[in-house]
Amino acid sequence: MVLEFHQHIVAELLEEPNGGLVILSSGLSLPRLIASLLLLHSPSQGTLLLLSSSASLKSHLLHHLPHPPSEITADLPSSQRHSLYSSGLVFFITSRILIVDLLNNKIPTSNLAGIVILNTHSLSDSSTETFICRIVKSLNKNAYIRAFSDKPNSMVSGFSKTERIMKSLFVRKLHLWPRFQVNISEELERDPPLVVDIRVPMTKCMVGIQKAILEVMDACLKEMRKTNKVDVEDLTVENGLFKSFDDIIRRQLDPIWHTLGKKTKQLVSDLKTLRKLLDYLVRYDAVSYLKYLDTLRVSESFRSVWIFAESSYKIFDYAKKRAYRLVRSDGLKLEGPSKKITGKKRKTKGNGDRGTSSESTISGVLLEEVLEEAPKWKVLREVLEEIQAERQKQASSGEELLLETQESDNSIVLVACKDERSCMQLQDCILNGSQKVMREEWEKYLFSKVELRAVQTSHKNKKSKEPKGYGILHGVAPVTPAQTAEASSVCKQENDALLAAASEMRNRGTSDDPEAHVSSKGHGKGRRKGRSKKILPNVHSGNNESNNKAATRDKPEISGSENEGQIDEIHSGAADGYSEGTVEGAQVDKGVLPEHTVKTDAAQFKDSKQLPPLHFYALESDQPILDILKPSVVVVYHPDMSFVREIEVYKAENPSIKLKVYFIFYEESTEVQKFEASIRRENGAFESLIRQKSMMMIPVDQDGHCLGLNLSTEAQATTSQNAVTRKAGGRKEVEKEMQVIVDMREFMSSLPNVLHLKGMRIIPVVLEVGDYILSPLVCVERKSIQDLFSSFTSGRLYHQVEMMVRYYRMPVLLIEFSQDKSFSFLSASDIGDDVTPNSIISKLSLLALHFPRLRIIWSRSLHATAEIFASLKANQDEPDEAKAIRVGVPSEEGIVEDDVRAENYNTSAVEFLRRLPGITDSNYRSIMDGCKTLGELVLLPVEKLAALMGGQKAAQTLRDFLDAKYPTLQ
Amino acid sequence: SQSQSNQSRNAILVSHRQKGNPLLKHIRNVRWAFADVVCDYMLGQNSCALYLSLRYHLLHPDYLYYRIRELQKNFKLRVVLCHVDVDDVVKPLLEVTKTAMLHDCTLLCAWSLEECGRYLETIKVYENKPADLIQGQMDTDYLSRLTHSLTTVRHVNKTDVVTLGSTFGSLSHIMDASMEDLARCPGIGERKVKRLHDTFHEPFKRVV
Repeated sequence: MVLEFHQHIVAELLEEPNGGLVILSSGLSLPRLIASLLLLHSPSQGTLLLLSSSASLKSHLLHHLPHPPSEITADLPSSQRHSLYSSGLVFFITSRILIVDLLNNKIPTSNLAGIVILNTHSLSDSSTETFICRIVKSLNKNAYIRAFSDKPNSMVSGFSKTERIMKSLFVRKLHLWPRFQVNISEELERDPPLVVDIRVPMTKCMVGIQKAILEVMDACLKEMRKTNKVDVEDLTVENGLFKSFDDIIRRQLDPIWHTLGKKTKQLVSDLKTLRKLLDYLVRYDAVSYLKYLDTLRVSESFRSVWIFAESSYKIFDYAKKRAYRLVRSDGLKLEGPSKKITGKKRKTKGNGDRGTSSESTISGVLLEEVLEEAPKWKVLREVLEEIQAERQKQASSGEELLLETQESDNSIVLVACKDERSCMQLQDCILNGSQKVMREEWEKYLFSKVELRAVQTSHKNKKSKEPKGYGILHGVAPVTPAQTAEASSVCKQENDALLAAASEMRNRGTSDDPEAHVSSKGHGKGRRKGRSKKILPNVHSGNNESNNKAATRDKPEISGSENEGQIDEIHSGAADGYSEGTVEGAQVDKGVLPEHTVKTDAAQFKDSKQLPPLHFYALESDQPILDILKPSVVVVYHPDMSFVREIEVYKAENPSIKLKVYFIFYEESTEVQKFEASIRRENGAFESLIRQKSMMMIPVDQDGHCLGLNLSTEAQATTSQNAVTRKAGGRKEVEKEMQVIVDMREFMSSLPNVLHLKGMRIIPVVLEVGDYILSPLVCVERKSIQDLFSSFTSGRLYHQVEMMVRYYRMPVLLIEFSQDKSFSFLSASDIGDDVTPNSIISKLSLLALHFPRLRIIWSRSLHATAEIFASLKANQDEPDEAKAIRVGVPSEEGIVEDDVRAENYNTSAVEFLRRLPGITDSNYRSIMDGCKTLGELVLLPVEKLAALMGGQKAAQTLRDFLDAKYPTLQ
Repeated sequence: SQSQSNQSRNAILVSHRQKGNPLLKHIRNVRWAFADVVCDYMLGQNSCALYLSLRYHLLHPDYLYYRIRELQKNFKLRVVLCHVDVDDVVKPLLEVTKTAMLHDCTLLCAWSLEECGRYLETIKVYENKPADLIQGQMDTDYLSRLTHSLTTVRHVNKTDVVTLGSTFGSLSHIMDASMEDLARCPGIGERKVKRLHDTFHEPFKRVV
């Protein structure tokens, strides 16, 4: 069922034949909107091209459309591409292919209905997409351009970004569709899902950690303010909760980055770390969290500012208390070996402890596990049990058969969490019990302790800076390292015992154990990046306070039959044609796994409660999960604004489903704060967009009347005008269009676009040598700063320059800095005292020494580059396309055309010679003088070689290499 | 005087014009001495450098051109060391770039006196250094080296290297092989045979 507001949007969009920009609140199903737009397309209108769609958007679209558009790729031969372009159908295409085909006149633009741009928020006014629109508009002014974004926050970043993008896309109409728009809110709130809002109190330690992190964060922000380098207004703890905070800071600091002290730079990265810590506090279990903290300490301790702040001690302390505590062995036995299974193992630990106790001043310290479970775990279980109980009640109250079968269609319960790691862990918790999960994490932690320890000591050996660092901790810290050191040494000693215990446990037959290890290892780290929160007005207005009785739960169990149901469910899901995506894969694997576990467990605990079939979904994987599973109950384990909206949309689309949604929040946590702030932020973004819209200055001729092909001549007119004022005589310039030959691969960058804007004709070809050919003499290799570093390291740059030097009179290396980053490599303080081989200065110097003919252009920005190109071309001939393509490509006979050396040298023989061991830059010429061919060289004895090569050692090296026996194949 | 010239060979020779340039304080890793040289800094027999502060350039836009012209054609590597000490760089840098390019100079930009000094030091220290540092790491085991050299012949790939190696047993045997023998190797087609043979048996220098 198509949503009404989607229809509204489409209708509004269709009213304007030239297209428009739609900004939609996140989570309001942009894919579905696009899909309904595409359904209206008919081939008679012409071909429709979909630009820059993300992979996830594509998969959503494929789900929504009966005949999903196919993709035009570079693999297709150009004749086939041409027929596709004129077919009148809808295609996905990348901007790089499209721009090259446009510039080569391979596209019948009159057949083009229009272009749909799907990620407008990630564009800038010099993106290739704008280049495409400019050319399309100039060739076919009737083609429409429809741009979309569901990330309003990034549409307001930077100075009047939306307006600039609209101008460069030649779009006049801006359509704003916030969640609070009347049509949308009416439709979504007409029959809202039943919402249960559960607030779970955090444990004392968690509250302590959160408080401490916020304190440290505040301290860091205060420090930041003191630097007077950033706009104070944005520096609030609330902003600090979001990833976009980094952008705010970076945008302000990038232009002056090289002038910043180490401390300020460190503060920026510390704030990032702290935000992560806050985030992980509610997502990770106690042990994983501690582990992460330990890793941080090892990797960051020398540099970070925050680690030495006073409150950060509390973070570590509380985090440790959640996992274990130390007790004196000679003291009271305290609670004693409380847990049944653990009892035996701790005895061994105790022994280990006593062994090391000489290290600490206290005699005999025992490690006692606390292994605090995440409070949400228990609540989740209770919620699931409640759901099941309700269902059973319903079933037993004798409902009609019809209803029941209908129910079974969507009886699955969807649990949505942030990342896959949480998915795996929660699933584990539900199936195997939370204690077991904690125990496994604990074991992994102990193992990792040993590794960490190794890293730490190697650090210490290298730099004995550690004492200095700890000094700053105001005497509190030394306690911590002592404890950790002890704990880790304890672990080291008991490592063997632990290993034995672990393997014993595995052998005992729970074969799922190693699997669990593998899976959580695979998903643990690396996944933790993503958090681009979206926002939405309050949904949970009609919150039912859940009456979750603090029922004391026994060992969590699942009945075998229930579980089988789950497996079936998953398989049928996969059979529906939805099998890609890692989650799904993981689920299927896991689905098989539990069968095993359940049996053993069920035997042990008879009084297990039944749970409904479950599906765990990671929000990060971004799949149309609701449409696939059609659940009637959704548990939102990690609150996320756009997912909440997706639920609303799902409900509005499927009014027949009685949807119940459980939200599980930590009470008074930053999780709640963040959730609410994300709504405010999006609303704020829309308010600002609405303001901007009212003041926008979009020229009337946006529809392309004035642009057309004359755009380039216009630009040229201005340049020649400038020339008149510059040159006193007003000497007339020859009215000729400047041409630049550009390598296809360069269309990933914006430079061709900017050059085109400057009135140059762009000729895209595949170049063997160089990126840009400005004239028959001038060849340019462009490097962004990042490229420069990496291609120095790989040796690519050396090779590229070598080729350019060989074929062109004026080979040029263009070092292009980014407009909004600092214009420099390093600050004065980073230079160091000595000439070091790894410094960029050394590498550039060496390059200059080896290629004295190489010219270097240092460009401040894209636009500066375009200026420089234009001025370099001023007195030069235009480049020859056919020639440029042939450069560096050997002809059939192996002779490279235009090679300045080719006429005189057997280049491949020279090249071969120079790569032999013992041959150096200084001796290869004398070898070539001394013997005629390589074949001759091979026959020379060492003595003769030594004479030619100017050294016995080098000669021997060469001789040995030539005669070395090729290793036989085994 | 022998030792003196030796010394001057190992030192950067600084023009008297540069007296008072605070940059000199930052040349610490190499010796330097004042001398009568046309360039500002003589960094070796074939390399020299001119120092230019962008701020100065703004006041005297023609200065660089006249200095370069003075150099004549005596040096292989002619560096224009540009100290970027103004905020609005685009226009002056464009001028400097153009002048340097059209008069065969290599432009190096530095943002602090320390960095300027470091460039001068490095060019001096690396005067005779091979380019390995920027040629990328190459594995030093036999097979990688063999592959590295044989793949200079166009279209010869790694598989061919293995074929050739195992057929002929050593590089010298490969290089000595006749066209027939080469042609017998699987995967080495007619063209590759010719290319290989030409590489090994055509003279390094063609007779013109």
